[in-house]
Amino acid sequence: MEERIIEADIVVVGGGSAGSTAAIRARESLPRGRVVLIEKAHVKRSGAIAIGMDGLNNAVIPGHATPEQYVKEITMANDGIVNQRAVLAYAESSFAMIQELDRWGVKFQKTESGDFDVKQVHNNGRYVLPMPEGYDLKKILTRKIRREGVQIVNRLAATRVLLDGDRACGIIGVDVRTGEIGVVLARAVILCCGASGRLGLPASGYLYGTYENPSNAGDGYSMAYHAGAELTGIECFQINPLIKDYNGPACAYVTGPLGGHTVNALGNRFIRSDYWSGQMMLEFHRELHSENGPVYLKLTHLAPETIEEIERVLHRTERPSRGRFHLGRRQSYDENLVEMHVSEIGLCSGHSASGVWVNERGETTVPGLYAAGDMACVPHNYLLGALTYGKICATSALDFISRAGAPALDADQVAAERARLLAPLSRPDGIPHHQYEYKVRRLVNDYLQPPKTANRMNKGLEYFLRAKDELDEVGAAGAHDLMRVAECGFIRDCAEMAARASLYRTESRWGLYHHRLDFPEMNDDEWFVHVNLKKGPDGAMVLFKRPVGEYVVPMSRAELSGYRDLRVSERSPPLEPPTVHDGMAAPP
Amino acid sequence: MKSKKVEDREGFKAAQALTVGHAQTTRVYDVPVVVDLSKCITGCQICIDSCPVDCLAVNPETTKAHMKYDECWYCLACELDCPKDAITVKIPFLIR
Repeated sequence: MEERIIEADIVVVGGGSAGSTAAIRARESLPRGRVVLIEKAHVKRSGAIAIGMDGLNNAVIPGHATPEQYVKEITMANDGIVNQRAVLAYAESSFAMIQELDRWGVKFQKTESGDFDVKQVHNNGRYVLPMPEGYDLKKILTRKIRREGVQIVNRLAATRVLLDGDRACGIIGVDVRTGEIGVVLARAVILCCGASGRLGLPASGYLYGTYENPSNAGDGYSMAYHAGAELTGIECFQINPLIKDYNGPACAYVTGPLGGHTVNALGNRFIRSDYWSGQMMLEFHRELHSENGPVYLKLTHLAPETIEEIERVLHRTERPSRGRFHLGRRQSYDENLVEMHVSEIGLCSGHSASGVWVNERGETTVPGLYAAGDMACVPHNYLLGALTYGKICATSALDFISRAGAPALDADQVAAERARLLAPLSRPDGIPHHQYEYKVRRLVNDYLQPPKTANRMNKGLEYFLRAKDELDEVGAAGAHDLMRVAECGFIRDCAEMAARASLYRTESRWGLYHHRLDFPEMNDDEWFVHVNLKKGPDGAMVLFKRPVGEYVVPMSRAELSGYRDLRVSERSPPLEPPTVHDGMAAPP
Repeated sequence: MKSKKVEDREGFKAAQALTVGHAQTTRVYDVPVVVDLSKCITGCQICIDSCPVDCLAVNPETTKAHMKYDECWYCLACELDCPKDAITVKIPFLIR
């Protein structure tokens, strides 16, 4: 069987948020050019926001926040380890993206005077812009991609970046319905493949009960790695406070501005800010495992109209099945506290800081290869960061292809990947992919879930290396399974990266995300650096330090520690209590 | 105390277990996506296109959509996009 080969100027891998704006931007500048968007699902319901999103978490809107304030907030929230230039590039371009989305028909919450209705959730600044009708977002993006004339290839699961020498020159993958091998030869490649959201195993034991859309299996992390790109901050895991068992957000960014907050089993507040930082997660984790656990989201004190408003958002956007989950347990926001827990680990720069190393132009360390969205390290970048960096990457890729010549296709690379991809079909009675995946992800829980120790992580690493051999036993009954087996490889790669990066950084940082029992203190003298990794010349993973670039927004040491004291205590200034009116105010 | 004969047998079988190959079982799972066959239209692919995890397919026996792979994210895309309101998504039993 011959491969299907498509030639393109720019290929965008992944039709979620970042991929959509990347393809739209590329096509706007190349009206006669060939912009190909490939997607392993279908662009109308793909990426992290299959069912839309309820708001923007990091909107930098003039009059409410400045790019400099935002850069400081994120530098603080990420304990100083950020490429500020990349964060600033986002902060400076994101308002234009909001205005563009507004023109495309995305409905943001506005005040009576027509201004954007921005709310505070972060510790210091105001960046949350509600989007109560955000279920339209995905439809609007899809319509725009089609109108621009982007060539869409749905159900093609990319598995490797193709290289011409050191330069990225396309991708190869498998059609998940037909099993046909697909190749896109392109002058530039933009990876927008989402988070590594199927890394830890949810406590429910349900493989697909993840926070992230489970099609985000770390594909981009693995593809960039095998292409020789550097990855960074992998040890800064994504761990989220979620509705227990349902494993979806509650969500603090929706309920917080309306008066909801986190309490312990005594009904007392214990954190000052519900913004998802590593330090917040550490306080959450401690409370959960203390005599005061479990931990709950409290909405019972709110007015009925407010509860209705919350339900209207939570039961219609992002994860609309939350409503039937609660109903199934005969629970409601006005009568019951919502039990919360700490999620399994993942990798996601949208929420924390794990991803492919990119600069302020979205360039990876491989020429012709760009990365945007959850998989690219611009810390705490969220949805608006994905949309904004999609555009930034497209602009950089357009510049690159104006200078670079046409790449050549290497038949050997195609043949090797084709053989690797299709091998599971020769083992129809091999280990089923879901059993393999369950085991690797259970081992991730056993050995990598923080708090971390070298002894445990070394043990885990042994199992992840063993899992490399076991992958050769996994079988496939058809095309769909081939995608799943390829994902098993991505998940294993991410597990190995997560273990090695966490072992390498011998200090604790980012609260729970990298809390090491054997190195409990933060050590700025040795570790005020990025930890990067890449595939070495002999194929083995190498780790190294990369200095933190000079800050473009200078900060004092005191400012840097702004997120470290999030626990409600006698020393803390009083919480602002406007929404607490049932006698359960902040403890003394 | 195990007899020599038992030990020999266990040693043999332990070695054999490393190389014996694979065997499968057939079992039935309760899945979240329930399709009302009286409403679902033959030839319509909308829900199958919508599913972000590719867990839906046409069941050749009924020519209607069904959940073929136990890999649902209970995102409701299929249910929301179905033009005939033929789909109801339940929360998976493990999570219910």
